This record gives sequence, C-alpha cells and structure tokens, in this order.
Amino acid sequence: MTNTTAFKSKRDLPQKHILGTGTPMCPGCGGLAALHEIYDIMGDKTVFVNAAGCMTLLSVYPFTPFRGAWLYTAMASAPAGAQGVRDALDILKAKRTIKPDDDLEVIVLTGDGSAYGMGISATSGAIDRDLNFIYLCYDNEGYGNTGHQYSAATPHGVKTATSKGSRGYPGYKKDLFSIWAAHKPTYVATIIAAEPLDLAQKIAKASSLNGPRLLLALAPCPTGWSFDPSLSIEIGKKAVQTGVWPLKEYVDGEVVHTKIPKNRLPVEEYLKLQGRYDHLFHPQRDKKTLQEIQDRIDAYWHKVEYN
Amino acid sequence: MYRIRFHGRGGQGVKTASRILGRAFFKEGYDVQDAPRYGAERRGAPIFAYVRASRTPIHERGIIQRPDCIVVVDDTLMPVPAAAILQGCEQKTLVLIISDLPAEKWTHRLQIQGKVLCLPKSVAGKGSPLLWGMACVGAVTRLLGVLSREALTDALRQELVTLDSAAAEQSSSTALQYFDKMAATQIVIQESSPAAATTYTSPRWLDMPMEIGPQTAPAIYAGATSEKLATGLWRTQRPIIDYTVCNRCWWLCSTFCPEGAIHVDSEGFPQIDYTHCKGCLVCLVQCPTHAIQALPEQEASRLSGEEK
Repeated sequence: MTNTTAFKSKRDLPQKHILGTGTPMCPGCGGLAALHEIYDIMGDKTVFVNAAGCMTLLSVYPFTPFRGAWLYTAMASAPAGAQGVRDALDILKAKRTIKPDDDLEVIVLTGDGSAYGMGISATSGAIDRDLNFIYLCYDNEGYGNTGHQYSAATPHGVKTATSKGSRGYPGYKKDLFSIWAAHKPTYVATIIAAEPLDLAQKIAKASSLNGPRLLLALAPCPTGWSFDPSLSIEIGKKAVQTGVWPLKEYVDGEVVHTKIPKNRLPVEEYLKLQGRYDHLFHPQRDKKTLQEIQDRIDAYWHKVEYN
Repeated sequence: MYRIRFHGRGGQGVKTASRILGRAFFKEGYDVQDAPRYGAERRGAPIFAYVRASRTPIHERGIIQRPDCIVVVDDTLMPVPAAAILQGCEQKTLVLIISDLPAEKWTHRLQIQGKVLCLPKSVAGKGSPLLWGMACVGAVTRLLGVLSREALTDALRQELVTLDSAAAEQSSSTALQYFDKMAATQIVIQESSPAAATTYTSPRWLDMPMEIGPQTAPAIYAGATSEKLATGLWRTQRPIIDYTVCNRCWWLCSTFCPEGAIHVDSEGFPQIDYTHCKGCLVCLVQCPTHAIQALPEQEASRLSGEEK
C-alpha cells in the first residue's frame, strides 16, 4: 500500500495540540489519546455529534475542549443527528448562506456501547443513505461510563462489572469492522493512539474522501481494564504486537492490513498487564481459556497471511 | 446521631472506608446510611462519602451538611474549593487529616473552627496512598468510642472480600493498627441530635430571579473553554523532564500524552503544562531515554517553591 498522505514519518506528526486540555476524562484515557491525535489533524472545521458515553462529558456547559461545534444526541441516534447537521450545512451551502470554504466535516463520536450495540441500526441506515460523514468509535470494550459492564465489544473471558465469575465474559467480541465493511462504505479503518503514524495516515486519507467513513479506535481504559494509567500506550502497543488489534483498512472494496506484526508476541504479553484478565493467571493458570484466546488470534492471522 | 464525612480522591478507597465504618456501626446494632458521592469526575478527582449512624431510625436524607467528623484522606485537597471539605465544620467537629503538617498549621491556615488531628503520611499505611483510607477508618472507629475492635475486624473482613488475600490482610492490619493507636488520645467524636423541623435552619439559599434564556444560559462561542479547568489538581505524581537527557523526540511524549498537555517549544523540547497534566505518567513510561522522572506532587511543589 502506498502512502499518499503528508505523513511520511513520525516527525510529520502535528507539533501543535489543539484539543483543549482540562477534560474530565480519566488520567491515561486511551480514547482521549486517540481523539486528540485525530483532532490535531482534522482541525476545528468540524462538528462533533456525540452519542451518550464517556465522551459526553467532554462538553459540559460552559466548558468544551473543542474549537468547533458539538452536538449531543441520545445513545442510539448519533448518525441520525449527523444526517441533520449534514443536511443543514448542505442547504446553507446551496443557498449561499455559507461559503464552500466554511463547510464543516461532520464527525460522529461514540463509544463501543453505542457503536457495537444500540447505535448500530442508525449507523447501518446512514451508510445505506451514503451519508457524507466520519464515524469515530472509541472502543474500550465495555460500558465504561457507568462502571464497565460488558458490551457487544467485550472480548471473551474478560472480567467486567456484569461478568465477575471465574470465567469472565462468556461471549465474543463482535467483528464491527467486517459488519461496517459489508455495507461497502467509502472507507473503514481500525486505529489506535499507540500507533500515531498509522493513525495520522488513515485520518488524512479519510479526510480526503467523501461518503461514509468509519473509524474504530481501540481505547485502553485504565479504570475499566484495571491497569496503571501510565501503561495506557504500552498496552495499546502490545495489542498491536500480539495481533489482538489488527490495524487495517477497507477501501475500494478491499481489506488491507496496514501493519502486520512480524514476530507476533504471545497474547499473554498483552493480557497479563490488565487486571480484567487477572483471573486467567491467579490463583491458577486457566490454560484452556488462554489457549483459546491465542488460537483465535492465530487463526485470524493465518487467514491474513495465506489469503 | 453520628454524621461522618470522608473526603479523598477517586481511587483512594474513600468509598470502601465509608462502607467499612457503616458496616461496623451496623454490627453494633445501629441504624446506618453509608453512601459515596461522585459526579462526572474520574480517578484522581475529589470525591466524598458519608456515614450516618443512630440508635433510632434515621429520617435524614442526602448529603451531610453538619458533620460531627470530617475525614480527609488526601491533604492536597484541603485548599481545593471544589472539594468543599470544611463545609458545615463547627466547633464540635473533629477534622482528621492524613498530613505531615502539624494540626495547628491547618487550623491557622484555613481558620478551622473544629478540632484538628493529623496522622503523618509516612506512618499511615507505610506511606502508600492506597492505605490512607484504611488508616482513617481505623482511627475514626476508635475515636467514636462506641465501636468495638471486633466489629471493625468483622466489617473489614466482609467489605474487603473482593481483594486478594495479601491486599486484604495489609488493609485490615493498617486499619486495626490505627484503631489501637488512637487508644492513647483523649479525643472523642461527639454525637449530635437528629435534625428537628422546629430547630432546622435552612441553608443560605441564593435567590435566582427568573431571567430570559440568553441571560441564564448564554451561548458561548469561544473554543477550548475546558482549559479553564485546572485538572492538574488531580495529580498525585508529577512528571519532571531532565532536559540534559531529553532527546527532543517530541513526537513520542507530546503525541502520546492523552491530555495533549505536553507542548513542543521552538527548539523542539517538550514542555509539560502542569496546570492540566493529570499525572498519568504515560510520558514517563514512553520516554526512550528515561529523561522523565516522577516525584510525589507535594514534594515536587515544595522543591519548586510553590508551597511556603
């Protein structure tokens, strides 16, 4: 894959950070890290349409970290809110009330509770209508804002406020990337704050396109995943190096992996840093579950490498 | 009725401390309310929890306005107005603070009307902030004078059941150690009578006359107003950059800082915005040359001359 964006090396990353500080997000928030890296590139000519979630708290009157507009919607209906904003801007442009240069990019901002679960219908509809918008999900694999109950994004075996037993969450993380890609939108990508160059290239690419563009950011969550906030980025890097979080994009009908980990680390290197997996290691090793998690990752990458 | 209010930061065991105290009261046959309060703020932000206990049914509800005892698990919160620590403090109120400063200094600085008792940080829970809440609950249980060591032991066992055994043991022994330690003091937390409708004085309400919409909730067009919020107050550890070791690879620390609180100066050196840095220490872990070190916030502010 050739990179045609302005971001060739890490030195090209933005030096100026324009998302306001002073937010109520937890120290070490992986979602905020991704958002500020994205905002540095997208800039203030943006309208954020926020579904209920942790990041609802970013803009609590009279405070906001954004330099542009922000709209709050109910948890299931952010893409519908985005449609309204997009239509209004298009009407203003058609009436020449605003100049083409004053147009804004409409960005939906949601957590995984909304994106994987109750908001998925509105998202699907918006893609069907070929809505010209960006959809950004910060995925911390649970309902983080309310005490970290499991969501449709929670991985197998994880301990959450609603899966406290010795085996953790019995379900499996939904493959939202593939669900989105199956709609054949303009662009879909997975990103993570711990890989800022890959993130910057994908954001630049998404910005240059029109139509539905959907971004899925894994957001390590110190509070919900139970790790020291200082490890937030380290855990993100491990998610990529162990193959837990494949960095990929869907564009022109094809899925391309943008960073294939050469010597994939054993998944335990990622799991053991997080309290939510503690029960797989103590008091005894849960060999069966650990092997199952590893096997699923191996199977995924086997498909990628031999396809 | 006893009214005890615990103040601390999210993650310091304030909620657990109030639950343990509530449970100990319950074991002794009291009617009990215990409840934590926190808003949208997160780990590191000020929170409080409160306990009411009475031999007769409790009809009071809501936040404790006039506490008999105020427990401050983290003294860096003392000067933070948003924490409202001294709210409702009266002459008979005992203010128990985990602090290395002498009690007189706090009394003088903040003109505290009640009695002040300080437990030094270094001793409380061997200096680990996670155990300060435990030291406090042990001390308070003894200072009440009506709760037995057995009730506290039982309450600790029940409330700490979710911790692994080593952590539970360390927490329990810290609490019990402070229970025993307080036997030497003469201070007793005084019970006060339940609020009665006849003697109740209403809070000092502010009259807010009806105004038109744009006045009561004016539209704000300025961007990034969140910068008015000094989230640096959440910080317990301060990252400090040693510029003699710094490689100027700003694209690491400055990009990774979740807050966007590391700026890059004209020479390419990263500069930490301490007004907003929450002290997550991602920068410290990510710095390849180990140019960033962490100091406890109070020590750092003493060294940099911010505190007199």
